[in-house]
Amino acid sequence: MIYLDNAATTGKKPETVIKAVNNALYKLSANPGRSGHKISINAASAVYNARQKISDFFSSSGPENVVFTANCTESLNFVIKGLLERGDKCVTSDIEHNAVMRPLFSLGADIKTAAVTENEDETYENFKNIITEDTKLVICTAGSNVLGLKPPIKRIGLLCKEMGIPFAVDAAQGAGVIPINMKEYGIDYLCIAAHKGLYAPMGVGVLIADKPIKKTIIEGGTGTMSESLIQPDMMPEKFESGTVNTPAIAAISAGIDFISKKGINNIYKHEMQLCKTLYFALKNNPDVLLYTNSFNGDNYLPVISFNVKNLTSMETAAYLDGKGIAVRAGLHCAPSAHKKIGTLDIGTVRVSPSVFTTRNEIEYLIKAVNEIKYKKY
Amino acid sequence: MGRYYISTGSITYAIKGRDTLRNKGFKVWIERNSKVLSSGGCGYNIVLDGDINSAERELKKAGVKILQINEG
Repeated sequence: MIYLDNAATTGKKPETVIKAVNNALYKLSANPGRSGHKISINAASAVYNARQKISDFFSSSGPENVVFTANCTESLNFVIKGLLERGDKCVTSDIEHNAVMRPLFSLGADIKTAAVTENEDETYENFKNIITEDTKLVICTAGSNVLGLKPPIKRIGLLCKEMGIPFAVDAAQGAGVIPINMKEYGIDYLCIAAHKGLYAPMGVGVLIADKPIKKTIIEGGTGTMSESLIQPDMMPEKFESGTVNTPAIAAISAGIDFISKKGINNIYKHEMQLCKTLYFALKNNPDVLLYTNSFNGDNYLPVISFNVKNLTSMETAAYLDGKGIAVRAGLHCAPSAHKKIGTLDIGTVRVSPSVFTTRNEIEYLIKAVNEIKYKKY
Repeated sequence: MGRYYISTGSITYAIKGRDTLRNKGFKVWIERNSKVLSSGGCGYNIVLDGDINSAERELKKAGVKILQINEG
């Protein structure tokens, strides 16, 4: 199977990541931060090492600000519901995932959206024009999981810092693919899907909170101050009620080592080259619809959406599945992006490579798509 | 110089403190708090064989929260 659905989760994991999971299951099978025996403390040390590695990788203020969650969606919920009250003004983009939009909607936040375009200056101005002194939070994606468009998070972050407004980034797609420096970019809260660009297994997310978050939405056992019924205020345990996923956390350390060894810029360059090859081949096919005007420069993540004329995205994806190619079709849990490009009824076929994807695999995909026009539907 | 139990509350700060002090050459390890649970409850101690004043300074510099220090 040719796996091109890495934006959903990275299909192939590095050997070192798999070894880290195995090692944790064999040697660290104790609850970290709960008991005093050696295995528990060793497990806790492995968890702490991952915090330190993550903190260094994203240039955050310290390992104690790194929280492990079930997934990026949970991280985003902690930020949004921890900071905002009903009616609070929040600025976000028009290409957000439901992991941002649904919590904002359910909370009853006063949501203002900035249009993300293929022109970075225009996107920045769109944000600047709607961020006001009474904005309580600016939250946006590091890059669209549908279109690959990247809002200029560094410029937005620095604007927020200047205005004293908290800035959160949904880095589900960007982490591990593009450099993200929290200090330099003025990012206060970074939400990460560790099972995507960091190559960890599914079942773990990260929230890096360099500024306090007042409210918790989950309370429970933290291994600290157990005599009190009040959730401890101490980070990171404040947001880690219950048992953390130690094997997956150990895998994050290995994933970051893998990315650092390869070089994040090399990974981005590799994946973007594959996407450019695909984009320009599809552009030459008159039966294919693309949804960005170009795929040049640094304004994109390596994600491409397309459709074949007269077919729904699901039909195209089913055909490709029959050819042994795994892609995702539909709305990708991001109806905002589809509303923007007019594909709410048919969705799009999304192709997303990883560091392991080869040029041959992309060429095979191109051939398969080109053959669709000869099929009768 | 004696043995001291530096209570940090959480395992995260215990490990941060341990690593900070070890990097400065202190002899330290982590133990579960075995004293009365009502004062500080479940938690971890950094156990130090050495100069508590210097250690405390290093921990504060590193941002490690110290709840209590008991002499062993």
